[in-house]
Amino acid sequence: MPAPILQVKDLHTEFLTDGGVVKAVDGVSFDLYPGESIGIVGESGSGKSITALSILRLVPDPGRVVGGKVLFQDKDLLQISGEEIREIRGRDIAMIFQDPQSSLNPVLRTGFQIDEAMLAHDKATKKEAHVRTIELLRRVRIPAPEARVKDFPHQLSGGMRQRAMIAMGLANAPSILIADEPTTALDVTVQAQILELLGDLNRDLGTAIVMITHNMGVVAGLCTRVLVMYAGEIVEQGPVEQIFENPQHPYTWSLLRSIPRVDALRHERLRSIEGLAPDLLHPPTGCRFHPRCPFRIEKCYTDEPRLQEVAPGQQAACWVTMDRARKEMDADNLVDIRPGAGSGLHKGEITE
Amino acid sequence: MLTRGTLIYIGQRLVIIVFTVLVVSSIVFLGIHRLPGDALFNEHLHGTQYALILHHYGLDKPLWDQYTSFLSGLLLHGNLGESLVNRGVPITPLVLREFTVSAEVGLFALVFTIGLGMLLGVVAAIRQNTWVDYLLTTTSVIGYSMPSFVIATFLLLVFAVWLDNLTQGTFYFQIGWTGRFGTIGEIWLPAFALGFPYASIVARLTRASMLEVIRQDYIRTARAKGLRETVIMVRHALRNALIPVITILGPLVIGIITGGVIIENIFGIPGLGKEFATSILNRDYNIVIGVFTAYAAMIGVANLGVDLAYVVIDPRIRY
Amino acid sequence: MASAAVITRPIAPEQASLWSDAWRRLRRNRLALVSAVYLVLLVAVALVALVHTPYSYRDVGVARPYSGPSGANWFGADILGRDVLSRLMVGAQISLIVGVGTQILVLAVGVPIGLLSGYYRGLFDTVVAFIINVFYGIPDLLVAMILLLLLGPSLNNIIIAIVATRWMDMARLVRGQTLALREREFIEAARSSGAKPAKILFGHILPNSLGPIIVQATFGVPAAILFEAFLSFLGIGVQPPTPSWGSMAADGLAAIRIAPHMVIFPSIALSLTLMAFNFLGDGLRDALDPRQKR
Repeated sequence: MPAPILQVKDLHTEFLTDGGVVKAVDGVSFDLYPGESIGIVGESGSGKSITALSILRLVPDPGRVVGGKVLFQDKDLLQISGEEIREIRGRDIAMIFQDPQSSLNPVLRTGFQIDEAMLAHDKATKKEAHVRTIELLRRVRIPAPEARVKDFPHQLSGGMRQRAMIAMGLANAPSILIADEPTTALDVTVQAQILELLGDLNRDLGTAIVMITHNMGVVAGLCTRVLVMYAGEIVEQGPVEQIFENPQHPYTWSLLRSIPRVDALRHERLRSIEGLAPDLLHPPTGCRFHPRCPFRIEKCYTDEPRLQEVAPGQQAACWVTMDRARKEMDADNLVDIRPGAGSGLHKGEITE
Repeated sequence: MLTRGTLIYIGQRLVIIVFTVLVVSSIVFLGIHRLPGDALFNEHLHGTQYALILHHYGLDKPLWDQYTSFLSGLLLHGNLGESLVNRGVPITPLVLREFTVSAEVGLFALVFTIGLGMLLGVVAAIRQNTWVDYLLTTTSVIGYSMPSFVIATFLLLVFAVWLDNLTQGTFYFQIGWTGRFGTIGEIWLPAFALGFPYASIVARLTRASMLEVIRQDYIRTARAKGLRETVIMVRHALRNALIPVITILGPLVIGIITGGVIIENIFGIPGLGKEFATSILNRDYNIVIGVFTAYAAMIGVANLGVDLAYVVIDPRIRY
Repeated sequence: MASAAVITRPIAPEQASLWSDAWRRLRRNRLALVSAVYLVLLVAVALVALVHTPYSYRDVGVARPYSGPSGANWFGADILGRDVLSRLMVGAQISLIVGVGTQILVLAVGVPIGLLSGYYRGLFDTVVAFIINVFYGIPDLLVAMILLLLLGPSLNNIIIAIVATRWMDMARLVRGQTLALREREFIEAARSSGAKPAKILFGHILPNSLGPIIVQATFGVPAAILFEAFLSFLGIGVQPPTPSWGSMAADGLAAIRIAPHMVIFPSIALSLTLMAFNFLGDGLRDALDPRQKR
């Protein structure tokens, strides 16, 4: 196995708010291998986007990366100077964002915004950058790129804008592309096209991709490995097929149940996870998922589980795990997945 | 930038401006001319002498005839008539000369207002909640609460009187205007006094607008691309922050024109504002009409300029 | 569920708690409080000046012309040897009369026009909107100067000229408020229960727009005072021997080298008063509309 290209070790990012400290990312670690494509999945507020932003030190105020390491090319990105991290941004590690409408500058021409990515790192002269921009736009399958470079962002469609953002990300042929919910703001058909494009680029150019999403379906189509985040922590990780086949954390299990299925009956209501996302100002004790977990046991209220091997290459942070829930709590036939429904433990809940 | 649509738009606006100028000057003409020869009462003229002068200005004719000849003179020859007080002085060249003087001071003030205002606003936004920010926001409150003539007075006290006394006459500000155009030495203080209150407003607005813009997603994109911070601030943030600032350019130009009336009188600058105040005091109606017509044209053109500035700054706006 | 808690019965915003909340917020704004105290003192000075000033404001030669501040003349004397302090006190009356007087008239003209054009729409509204837009682009000071030329300079005419160039701002505000409020449920409810238009306008819409109207009027006072000072400074405002802070500053400017006190004191009085009204206006705006923070 080759050496990892990017190593995130025990990353901690906090937000100082009026109400207190919010631990948005609380001890996240993972490795990314060259040419690999991993997905980071979780609900909004799970810390997945902040993890991505922390890697490039782009966390907005009042957020601060307070601990951990991000190792890239033998350097800790959290320790190097502002000028050094600027050099790495966009050149070695590029990032694209959720909403291409607001992520492109409305007063600058689209082509120029891509040129800029190259000019910032003295990768090309103005002329060369211009030629390469057209090439990149063609590569991300924008029709008539010679004309589109002169367009302002508002003159492009949503899908085209996201393609232009991807072209911008690829401008310097980075070794890593971080995509933060790149398809959320787009139509379903356009979503599929963008995912296909990212998949092709990953295959053809060997760019490693970190895909941040709340949609398990997106991960299935693109990634080889998946990390599931909940309340600032990784709760499960492993190869995509394995996790889809056999999720071990109840949170992953309920996420997978919530994917709308084509074969499902029209009238069957979309299952969603019961309960509210946790309040990060006052995170629950023990396992952070226990207030919403159908399979919780006494221990979950008090002791925090660590990630441990549950199958080859697959880790989960859970005292129960789904194997046991299936055996002992008949998880597969559980229709009602309210907290404690499987284990029958309703301590501390207001029951109706 | 100059598409065909924009040119047509400019053409239409110019037609509207000419029309507005005619309407405004007509209203002023008709309003003022209900008292024929009022300006001449001061001279204690009698009999034939008085009738001769009335005839000279056409004031003996019916109001409607006076109006049509005024209008045709203005439209066909750009002729605004003759001064009632300084007999024989044609108004059009006078107004044109004074316009260049006022425009010089006004443009200086405008450049100063926008330049200083935006610089301070940007600095306050980037250094938000530091002492620089607090100092700037406090100064700007004082700035917009002080009338320009009070600021002008204190500036004169400091630079024309105290500095003169302190350096025993080697360095001080000389009030007045010697040539056809003002020199930098003559113009900087009036331009400062004229622009300062508005610079405060521009600074406040720029600060608020910058704070809004630097939170936007495209600024994060620019950072993620690896652009240098100065490039991000100037090219990506400032251009977007300018858009709301342009909205006050219209009121700003009107404010500078109005403020110019006071400032020109204080600093003895022979511009439109000084002429306007003097001719109102002297009841020289013809000059009042002429100067007001010039003001209407200036404001029309200035507003057109503001609308065109939008097109240059914001590509989403097209006419 | 939360939707069960939605109130279905139309209800007017709680007036009483709005005002007491505003008062509480205003009391915490130190700058606005200091300004209010200053303005109360200014009114007191203006009232005292009705019955007593150190000297008569028009008595010439009570001190040596141009003489500076002294025990007998605290703020010195002017070009004719008149007492500057006495003239400032009378000038305060002029400023307050102009400032408050114009705003009362602006309210009397602007509020009904705004209410009617916003409530009835139609032709009247179109005409009002047109007039407002025409005036908006014309410098009010220049228009007021021409009006004074036609009417002749006097205190009454100054007030008329200012009102003539300022009523539109109030009309526009009230029109906007009315347009927004007439669609709200509690107005709809009042209308459907058969309330007369006058009752709706003055019983419901006006009380609910009172906050912004008060704020606008408060900002209108310093604008009018400044206006009068401008006009008097140019010599077409209040006529001598009646003192105005503007004309006193103009006299002082002519003597700036020999008697700077003549220009300093009226300038300070004017600046402080304008600032006080502006800070009070800021405070009122923040207190009455806490969402619209600067």
